[in-house]
Amino acid sequence: MFSGWNWVAHGLYLLWNICSLGVSGGLVQSCGHIIPESPVLTLGSSFTALCILNESCLDFGNIYANQIIWKTKNRVVPKEQYREINRTVSSVTFNDTSSLANPLTCNILADGQIEQNIYGITVTVGLPPEKPKNLSCIVRQVSKLAYPMTCTWNPGRPTFLDTHFRLKYRWPQENFPDCIPKDVNNSCMITDVQFFVNLEVWVEAENALGKAESDPLVLDPIEIVKPLSPHNLSVNSEILPTVLKLSWENRISVAVMKLKFNIRYRIIGDANWMQVPPEDTASPRTSFSVQGLRPYTEYVFSIRCMKEDGVGYWSDWSEEKTGVTTEDKPSKGPPIWRSIAVCHSPAFWTVHLMWKALEPFEANGVIFQYEVTVRSKSPLSSLAEKYNVNTTNLTLKLPNGTYEVTVIAHNRVGASPPSVLLIPASNSKAPVKSVRTLPKDGKLWVGWTAPNSYVLKYVIEWCLVSNSSDCIIEWQNEPGNVQGTYLKGDIKPFKCYLITVYPLYADGQGSGQSVKAYLQQDRPSKGPTVQTKKVGKAEAVLTWNHLTVDEQNGFIRSYTIFYKTVDGNETAVTVDPSKTEYTLSSLTSDTLYTVRMMAYTDEGGRSGPDFTFTTQKFGKGEIEAIVVPVCLAFLLIVLLGVLFCFNKRDLIKKHIWPIVPDPSKSNIAQWSPQVPAKHNFSSKDQMYPEGSFTDVSVVEIEADDKKSFSEQDLKPFDLLKKEKSTSEGHSSGIGGSSCMSSPRQSVSDSDEGETTQNTSSTVQYSTVVLNGYRDQTPVQVFSRSESTQPLLDSEERSEDQAGGGDSTTQRQHYFKQNGGQDETNTDRPCFERTKQIIHANEGDLVGFAQLQISGQSSQPLGLGLEKNTQEAALSDVLQESTEGQTVISQTVEGNPMLVDEMPKSYLPQTVRQGGYMPQ
Amino acid sequence: MAAADNTSAALRRRDLCSRGIRLAGKMRSDVVDLLDTYVERQGLDASASVAAVEGVPAAAVERWDEQTGTQRLLENLAAYRAFRALLAQMLEEQQEQLGEADAALGRALAAVLLQVSAFTYHLEELLRLESRGPPSEEGAEPPPAPHLSLFERKLRGLGVLRELAQWAVRSTRDLRQLAKPSPGSSSAASLAESP
Repeated sequence: MFSGWNWVAHGLYLLWNICSLGVSGGLVQSCGHIIPESPVLTLGSSFTALCILNESCLDFGNIYANQIIWKTKNRVVPKEQYREINRTVSSVTFNDTSSLANPLTCNILADGQIEQNIYGITVTVGLPPEKPKNLSCIVRQVSKLAYPMTCTWNPGRPTFLDTHFRLKYRWPQENFPDCIPKDVNNSCMITDVQFFVNLEVWVEAENALGKAESDPLVLDPIEIVKPLSPHNLSVNSEILPTVLKLSWENRISVAVMKLKFNIRYRIIGDANWMQVPPEDTASPRTSFSVQGLRPYTEYVFSIRCMKEDGVGYWSDWSEEKTGVTTEDKPSKGPPIWRSIAVCHSPAFWTVHLMWKALEPFEANGVIFQYEVTVRSKSPLSSLAEKYNVNTTNLTLKLPNGTYEVTVIAHNRVGASPPSVLLIPASNSKAPVKSVRTLPKDGKLWVGWTAPNSYVLKYVIEWCLVSNSSDCIIEWQNEPGNVQGTYLKGDIKPFKCYLITVYPLYADGQGSGQSVKAYLQQDRPSKGPTVQTKKVGKAEAVLTWNHLTVDEQNGFIRSYTIFYKTVDGNETAVTVDPSKTEYTLSSLTSDTLYTVRMMAYTDEGGRSGPDFTFTTQKFGKGEIEAIVVPVCLAFLLIVLLGVLFCFNKRDLIKKHIWPIVPDPSKSNIAQWSPQVPAKHNFSSKDQMYPEGSFTDVSVVEIEADDKKSFSEQDLKPFDLLKKEKSTSEGHSSGIGGSSCMSSPRQSVSDSDEGETTQNTSSTVQYSTVVLNGYRDQTPVQVFSRSESTQPLLDSEERSEDQAGGGDSTTQRQHYFKQNGGQDETNTDRPCFERTKQIIHANEGDLVGFAQLQISGQSSQPLGLGLEKNTQEAALSDVLQESTEGQTVISQTVEGNPMLVDEMPKSYLPQTVRQGGYMPQ
Repeated sequence: MAAADNTSAALRRRDLCSRGIRLAGKMRSDVVDLLDTYVERQGLDASASVAAVEGVPAAAVERWDEQTGTQRLLENLAAYRAFRALLAQMLEEQQEQLGEADAALGRALAAVLLQVSAFTYHLEELLRLESRGPPSEEGAEPPPAPHLSLFERKLRGLGVLRELAQWAVRSTRDLRQLAKPSPGSSSAASLAESP
């Protein structure tokens, strides 16, 4: 029974334990805790935390403080930083909180192995707020009655903590609610402040580590007002042309503050502001008249204000308003100058007057007319001519002389003072000296030395020198007391300007002194193009053209010529810029040189294109020195050779030029006297007036009387027939042109049988003199020779003309046409003649043949003659039988050797009168 | 030492007078503007004649130029303390009546109230410089507001503002009078400030 109660008590004890755990720690009871709980620590300070174990856990789990392990973000804190206070408390100390990571946990090793977390805290590290510094306030007026005050301060270093700033302010007797910044920590705006009472303002900064206050600022807000700028500004012109009246409205009550003003203004288009003297606008006002303005000029105005005593801030500048002053008469006459051109008539000038339009500040209005007066200063006439023009120039044709020109500008208000220019007959006065230029500040300054005489003023004339445009003159006036000025115009860099300075005197004018100048120089835009003028063996003359002024970009100070061989070093030669030619010397002969040229200005040089040339192999006269001796030597040798040949001519003749038998001295000459008396020499003389045939012995044969030949005469024919005809005896006879000569007409004068049968030296000649037919006077004498020597050349030519065809073939062809009359032949004349021969009677044929031969020069005829020369003996056959063609063909075929051998047997020889002279 | 104190006190007095004058000027300007707004918003006739309001000190006074400085300061202080209470009451009534619907009128009333309060401070400081010290406010409290109808309250408000405008003018003159160098005073500079 007792034990049963004991068990019940034990169960109740456990239940109480469980309940007590649940009550004390909620759902999970912690076995300890850390103090301090979630501390906020100063960065860099030391920190000690204690982990305190619950007694209940000691009893329940045998847990003690010496088992505690400290961790920062799961990293075990070294044991050296632990300290066991007692058996339930362990502390950990960090000397520098900057290294402390969250969370800081207290853990324990249960049963020596299992690590259990007991408790953890989050440590916040930061800095206390610094004292806010540089507190300042400004009251910006936003409307007529609203004056919010904005104060700014320097909040100091970051605190890494949630730090609250408050702007506090108060009157001595009254506190106001704090101004709390929104989204920022360095400024705050108090919406409404009251003036004329001192306000104490300060800033309070507070976070978990502390609180700091700035130094108080005691001020009357009226002293820190930035008022709104005046508005509704208007500008009105006054009667005076130099005054404009400004009016405006102030947006701050005079009861609040009195204002002073700043008024600024500028000419429209000009960026520079001018300001009305502040002392003129140092009192409250709503209008002001600005004086000292230019007439007929548009001005821009703006205004601002601040507290009259200068305490506070200036307002912003008001909106800009413009106003135009009224017109006034021109303040000065237009500057005037002239250019003079000589007319065709030397007694007249063309004077081009030009004047400058007045600057707006001089014109003081719209210039609508210029009045030009030209007055001659000649003692003979002092007439004044007046011209009213709208332009700024006037061209007049005037007689040479001295003139005074006056120009007056008119606007709506009045006329300008006159501008006077004296145009003397000649510029005889002293000129200026030492005209010089100097680029300065992007402008071109011109200076000169004044002449000794008093100069009224100077005129500086200039123009841009260019190849592409004319020199358009610009000019400007300068007072007589200066000796230098800047050119007032659009002076471009890299352009050449011709500047001329004229001194004007009260009674005349000095001649102009000129100088060329550049505002800025550059390298030339291109280099000179060099080429050779003459190339020798060791020298070359180079030429080039000067660069145009547009290409120069500056003053050409020098040229440099660079030349080199293909593999050699470049050599440079500096040349004076005035030259356009230079001779390179000491060059290597027969060598390719590359040459280029650079032109230099003060800013550098630029090279022209490369040019190559080759020096000559021989110098001047060298070739002549070689050729002339060679020629002389050659001539000498030739002369010696000729002399030698002359001396040895017999020997040479014997070997090279054997004596050709002269037919005129042949044996036939011996029978020349036996020629019948009918031989008509007179007609022969007429036919051969030069006597080339004067020595020819003529054998006259009656064409129609074959029987009149003596046996002796006919003997050679027979011999020839025997020799040349092998198979057909009836084909013998003197050969001739089968085309034009009939066997009866041509008489072979070939030598007797032994002569013919002689060796190659044997020459056959025939001289045929045709007799007239039946008492008709023969019109032509045909002298024929059996020698082929003089005709070899013709034969060869005929062969060439026949297309190189075989002579035999030609002959066959010829005879074929002769037989076949229907066929055509290119040798048409010959063919026709053949037909006549065949069909006409023999007597007719003879005369006709003579005519044909006498007029012959045609190749077909010659061909026929030549081809049949050696076959003259066969011609009889042709006139005897229609079968002749076959016979002749056979003869030719059967006698090839004769054709080949005959030319070798004969030497050319003039047929002389007297006929056959066998040797 | 005593001379330095006197000089400092004189400068302080002068500064207080100067700024008091300007504050009175601005207060008058603002009250005049407020009067227009008030008449318009409360639906009153600007030319309406309002009888003397009970508890509102009258600006007009006989033999003004015979008053001493302290007397002037005391009368001003009494008046402005009364105005301060009246304006606070008007502001409260206006907020009850119009709520936030007419914030501009409320802001203007509050601004004038602040100026009145600031001017009161100026007067108290001047009285301290007179070695007299400001009187206690307990005796100067206005009588409790009688139960008035809405229209009567509006009219009373109009009367308060008009009288305040009058007082602003008078205060300016009073302070100028005070700022004038008293015979034998070393401060020779005069204040030429005029609103």
